[in-house]
Amino acid sequence: MFGQEKYERFLKRHPHEGRFFNRPHWTRRQFMEVMGTGVTAAFLPQRNWAEDLEVIERSAVTTQNRARQVIYILFDGGMTHVDTFDLKVYDGVTPATFDPTMINGLNWPVGLLPKLANHLPKMTIVRSIRAWAALHQLARRWQQIGRNPAAVQGDVAPHIGSVVALEKAGHRQPDQVFPSFLSVTRNVAGQGYFPAITAPFKVNAGATSLSNTTNAFGRARFEQNYAQLHLLDDTLRISSPYSSKMRDMDDFYTQAKALMYNPAVTQAFTLSTADRARYGNTGFGNSCLLAKQILQADQGTRFIQLNIGGWDMHSGIYAALPGRAAELDNAVSELLVDLEATGLLNETLVVMMGEFGRTVGNVNGQAGRDHHLQQFVVFAGAGVRGGRAIGATDAIGGNVAESGWARGRTIRMEDVEATIYSALGIDWTTVRYDDPLKRGFEYVPYGKADVYGPINELWF
Amino acid sequence: MKRKSIVLPWTFSFLLCSAYGLYYARATKLEGLDRSVSANRETVSQDDEEIKATIKERYFLSQVRSDLIEIAVNKATPAQQPPVLTAQAGSSSDDQVRQISPLRGARIETGDTGAAPRKPEPSVNELLNASENPDCTYFGPLHEKISSVGLQEDLLRSRFKDRSLSRGRLSMSLTEQVAAKLPSSSDSAEIMFLFEPPYGNDPVNPTNLIDRHIFSALQTAGVPPAKLTNDFEFIRRVTLDLTGRIPTKDRVLSFVADSSLDKRERLVDELLSAPEWLDKWTMFFGDLYQNTQQNQQVAMYQQGVLAFNNWIRDSLANNTPYDQMARELITAQGTNSYETGTINWLVGGSMGGGPYQDHVDARTARMAQHLLGLAHMDCIGCHDGAGHLDSLSLWGRDAKRIQFWQLASFLSHTEAYRTPVDPAVAQPYYWGIREDASATYQQDYRLNTTTGNRPPRQPFNGLQRVSPSYPFGGGGPVNENYRVALARLVTSDFQFARAAVNYVWKEFFGIGIVDPPDFFDLARLDENNPPPAPWTLQPSHPSLLRELAQDFIDSGYDLKALMRRIVNSRAYQLSSRYTGTWNPTWERLFARKLVRRLWGEELHDAVVQSSGILPNYNLGAVYGSKSWAMQFPDTRPVFLQFVEDFMNGNRDEEERLSEVSIQQALNLMNNNVVMSRVVASNPNGLVARSLSLPNDQLVDHLFLTVLSRYPTDVEKSLALSSLQTSTRTQKVETLLWSLYNKVDFIFNY
Repeated sequence: MFGQEKYERFLKRHPHEGRFFNRPHWTRRQFMEVMGTGVTAAFLPQRNWAEDLEVIERSAVTTQNRARQVIYILFDGGMTHVDTFDLKVYDGVTPATFDPTMINGLNWPVGLLPKLANHLPKMTIVRSIRAWAALHQLARRWQQIGRNPAAVQGDVAPHIGSVVALEKAGHRQPDQVFPSFLSVTRNVAGQGYFPAITAPFKVNAGATSLSNTTNAFGRARFEQNYAQLHLLDDTLRISSPYSSKMRDMDDFYTQAKALMYNPAVTQAFTLSTADRARYGNTGFGNSCLLAKQILQADQGTRFIQLNIGGWDMHSGIYAALPGRAAELDNAVSELLVDLEATGLLNETLVVMMGEFGRTVGNVNGQAGRDHHLQQFVVFAGAGVRGGRAIGATDAIGGNVAESGWARGRTIRMEDVEATIYSALGIDWTTVRYDDPLKRGFEYVPYGKADVYGPINELWF
Repeated sequence: MKRKSIVLPWTFSFLLCSAYGLYYARATKLEGLDRSVSANRETVSQDDEEIKATIKERYFLSQVRSDLIEIAVNKATPAQQPPVLTAQAGSSSDDQVRQISPLRGARIETGDTGAAPRKPEPSVNELLNASENPDCTYFGPLHEKISSVGLQEDLLRSRFKDRSLSRGRLSMSLTEQVAAKLPSSSDSAEIMFLFEPPYGNDPVNPTNLIDRHIFSALQTAGVPPAKLTNDFEFIRRVTLDLTGRIPTKDRVLSFVADSSLDKRERLVDELLSAPEWLDKWTMFFGDLYQNTQQNQQVAMYQQGVLAFNNWIRDSLANNTPYDQMARELITAQGTNSYETGTINWLVGGSMGGGPYQDHVDARTARMAQHLLGLAHMDCIGCHDGAGHLDSLSLWGRDAKRIQFWQLASFLSHTEAYRTPVDPAVAQPYYWGIREDASATYQQDYRLNTTTGNRPPRQPFNGLQRVSPSYPFGGGGPVNENYRVALARLVTSDFQFARAAVNYVWKEFFGIGIVDPPDFFDLARLDENNPPPAPWTLQPSHPSLLRELAQDFIDSGYDLKALMRRIVNSRAYQLSSRYTGTWNPTWERLFARKLVRRLWGEELHDAVVQSSGILPNYNLGAVYGSKSWAMQFPDTRPVFLQFVEDFMNGNRDEEERLSEVSIQQALNLMNNNVVMSRVVASNPNGLVARSLSLPNDQLVDHLFLTVLSRYPTDVEKSLALSSLQTSTRTQKVETLLWSLYNKVDFIFNY
């Protein structure tokens, strides 16, 4: 198999001495590279063609290359835009408690999101973006894979985070044990046709520990048992007579063990009472705190997805909003404060958006708002020039009035995707010809044709 | 000098005896012991009685047939018989001793005809001393010496130390020698080799149509196939593939002891009739038909899922012909999807946010994928193939959007509608299917859209509406309901049979004859009419696919008959071990069995069954309680994290994957599903029930129960030595835990 040959060559080139249990002679970097290509190569015989794997096209684009990692916050259900980040005050409709205030040209519901008002200088609110679909699952998947899920590659397309994980695999340090792509929610799109190593590592929202990283027998016994397992099983794992897949499994065992009883893991997942209180003592608050701690641990994670749900307010929206908004307000403002204090903000791109917006103007018959394609996306960190909005909607908030960027058209999810890749230094015009449909997988659909591209205005 | 002169004869005679002792140990597993080279073996001799007694004792066999010994002892063909050592105690035949390796099954003749005395196993010290001799490859119970973690780690470390370093340490030298001398196939094969198929080692069964094609293709390609599975491998593999369970220990032993020539066929029949077969294949078809409570487009609710799940299960239980199943799906009708399960299949293919044609198209595309293996029809629903499918499908390249519409037209009068369960509340609701009920659905497929999920549909050659016409061979409704016509045309299409057999084939062989199985290229299937260069025939074995499909039709679309045909073939029964250098391109030739990681459901159920500790999962009011993961009606919501982490898919855009991951390793090592079943504290558990057995039997018992095989020599001695401790109970727990984490538990090989 492709991976096997490369592995043997690595061994010959890098003989290793005296390192405990280092028999693969792989650094994690090498492992990732080889695994990535090897496992992808494993697809080839199964896909009835065996072309050269190295057919990855890139153009000579200039990426922004300002961020090391991304925090991707999704507002499940479709957050109303006209009551929050694209505030419109409707007489007799918008509650006075929202206390709309102009802050440096931005109309802001200070009564609803008081703490975030202080952090407007960190955030750029893109208001000229519209969703493609107003169906929850479709739109949610759309914003995670960055393309139409109902289109031809929709089923095999990887999550944006998986693309990041694959692209950044070579940057992992040997001692880093966290997965590149972490999802603090189990309801997350998968890695599509990309190798399993780029799959989102799912952590329960509000988790205070990484599940299944301790053994009921206790650490000492577990270590003995683990050693015993290898004595018993290594003949079948290393140079297995059955299949190289068993060696792959063994490699995952090694990585799994590295996450167990690991102080870095324990530390990252231990949320102190004081911190949790600061973040609002909510599930989403804990998720934000966890994300910060994981990034602080600097253990290889490059893309973290968080979700805050409950925004699908078809009825009683002004009764429901304050609670949800408070949770968001407390958590994200503390997250931004902490990222700045730890020096992480400059190298972390924070992206926040819902899957679509909600209806504008008067509320509906149940005092709620329904699905609407007009939406917003917020960028912060990674050198984004904050304190302003890009683009604008019309007076009522129903449609784009000014696009606010060089392309002069409505911004789309695909542009957001390109922005994320560009910020990370990833060529968003990349086309990989290793996809199972053999049509070429574009990181950004039509990216090469420059139909979609990054929102560079964020940085100047 | 002095030392050597004392030691040498001692060493020699010790070696001889230890070789004999080792030999005896292996002989009880019937490998190559020949106490008397007697040509006349018609009568069972005194020696054979001893052998039989040992076999019975060691393998819990109630009866050992003499012909089994016969086969065992004489299994080597003359050309393969290892050299015979003639030795007498005291003679200085160092050379003869060194010629043979006891692990290779040399035969030893003694001058005496009487039964040789049973030799006690050498003590550890003897073995350790003996290992100074570089020719000694006996890897004895070294771990008696190793009692602390540190030393165990030393051993681990030393195993994989760079071999260029000096071999100063005893443990490393032994281990490395063993590692160097073990055959490239694990010695588990050597232990189990004896229980090979009753029809010997010849893989070709010319009466099975699958074998005729597979083996002639291998011969043409000059690729030697793997050997056949031995009985241990076979029963585990086929039980998992057919029923999603591992075999019980009793069944394993009774199977291997059975010497009838047709025992494999009878096992297959037994498994096909087992209720667990229904569990597994209900899950399989639930995956294929994407039976789930909520996909990206519509909600069917758990009641709908259950109804659909029950329909699948009942159809399989009644052995409903597969074409009949397809007909029932296509013509599903009724007012309540909670009662008429097949309604959910059509409903699942919906596409909102557009005109009604988007729904019709989605159902058409799904039908083409599930029943005809033509996922590319979904592409043709948006545009002609030219310019899109050119490098993917020859048929697709020339396919036209009008053909998709002609197919969709059969469904253009069919409407899915919802009715709230409680009239006062919008949700939940159930679905109904009706035809010609509203103005929209009273006409043939209309070409009048500009919005929605697909490119505009506008009049084509003056056509405003498209009448139904089956694009794969023509035909349309003949004074009949459109869907009845569609069902007739689809099920009588040869492609329907091809797609079905290929989907099933993939489950057993790991790769379809056409792979991926929903990417059929209709223009590249006929070996009598091959496509123009550079296109090649798509199936790896075009004639096989054709004959197998025809066989399926002739059997009356009998799924069990198809599976029977597949698993009774020698091609299916090839081992996954391959001697010689393997070339990955031979995968498509099926020269060996490709291993597959078990489904999450299979792993869970294997842990449950082998441990004897049954769970009780409350899946809610609709699904009730289940103990076996394979009986879960849906893969979502996630009922068991353990199962989901093995990527069972969501029956929508995420299909079931056999990839491995970190989280799977974490689960197997630490999840409560496993941990709660390896502790001795549960009196019903495997550990508690095994503790009273003597160590030797205990190890065998665990291996047989969990891995469906005996331990190898190395495994046995490792396990036994680990049990020689005051914390025996803990060590038994450890042993069971290790077995659940062994790769030959996790994978089906």
